[in-house]
Amino acid sequence: MEVDVSGVSRTIMSILPAPTDEINSPPKAEPEKPRCSSTPCSPIKGTVSGYQILHMDSNYLVGFTTGEELLKLAQKWTSTEKATGDTMPNPRTKQLDSGLHRATRVYKTKSRYYQPYDIPAVNGRRRRRMPSSGDNCIKSLPMEPSKVLHGSLPLCLLKGKRAHSKSLDYLNLDKMNIKEPADTEVLQYQLQHLTLRGERVFTRNKT
Amino acid sequence: MLKWRSNLYYLCAPSENVYSIDFTRFKIRDLETGTVLFEITKPPALERGQGDKKDFDPNAGRFVRYQFTPAFLRLRQVGATVEFTVGEKPINNFRMIERHYFREQLLKSFDFEFGFCIPSSKNTCEHIYEFPPLSDEIMHEMILYPYETQSDSFYFVDNKLVMHNKADYSYSGAP
Repeated sequence: MEVDVSGVSRTIMSILPAPTDEINSPPKAEPEKPRCSSTPCSPIKGTVSGYQILHMDSNYLVGFTTGEELLKLAQKWTSTEKATGDTMPNPRTKQLDSGLHRATRVYKTKSRYYQPYDIPAVNGRRRRRMPSSGDNCIKSLPMEPSKVLHGSLPLCLLKGKRAHSKSLDYLNLDKMNIKEPADTEVLQYQLQHLTLRGERVFTRNKT
Repeated sequence: MLKWRSNLYYLCAPSENVYSIDFTRFKIRDLETGTVLFEITKPPALERGQGDKKDFDPNAGRFVRYQFTPAFLRLRQVGATVEFTVGEKPINNFRMIERHYFREQLLKSFDFEFGFCIPSSKNTCEHIYEFPPLSDEIMHEMILYPYETQSDSFYFVDNKLVMHNKADYSYSGAP
């Protein structure tokens, strides 16, 4: 049993090699949950790039995708736009090329069903951490569904074909002096004695 | 205090995962209610094969994108259960450091240990994410600007970086 940085205990369970039939058997499907007209809770299932989504609570999560899917879609959009022979500069193509995020324009509208700042009621008890934001909810402008779902490509996929040499500069945390040399051995040593802001001092015995 | 973030790239190549660590299942739940928010599984790497992936950026397999609703930001504690298989080498001090950013600002850094992993085993571990307190202003911005909240997950074995995964997040609730 170890205590994590949040002070909460957790247990690591190590499972010995499972029987082949258990590994190869399809995952147990969860029973279909009844739909309720007053709350937008519906289990969403599907497959994404070889992943099988077993459960997705739409009160909290409405989409999941992978880098592979994003690249496939980007290629499809690019080829579609080329095929239509669009000679005018297409802002979406431009966006993909530049890899810039486009701020989503929003407008406020009244929602009859969904209060985004409320945590959906569970067992008849509604939780709310902050004062209600009223009847407003933020919605994005309607766009082509696949593009709404996936947005713009992340920069790491547009530019990230190269990998830096292993540098731990990035893990130079709050209480580490940024003026210290980026020597790999020094950083390795520092990694062994990470100190996180507001959290416990972490020390490790060198094994 | 703003934390400097310069990393737009991966700090190691996929080939540096010499321990053949492969995540096969992932689940997150709200710890206050036990509500399962998301669960996903994938067959082990050997079963998946290469398919048409040879033409794709090798980094594509280590990036995911989530579309959350604003309600997600109101949660306090989320348990993340991860199942993974490992190759034939024993794994000492398997550890993950995950950093979440909104634009260039560090929201929180998480440090989780998986410990020792037996060779050729399948392992399951749940880690607890304690959400940092976020001002209404920050939350509003995070909702307003999808995918500008991002994370890096660094995986170490004996303090050596073996994997680097990335993710970005939307909280607008757009389907």
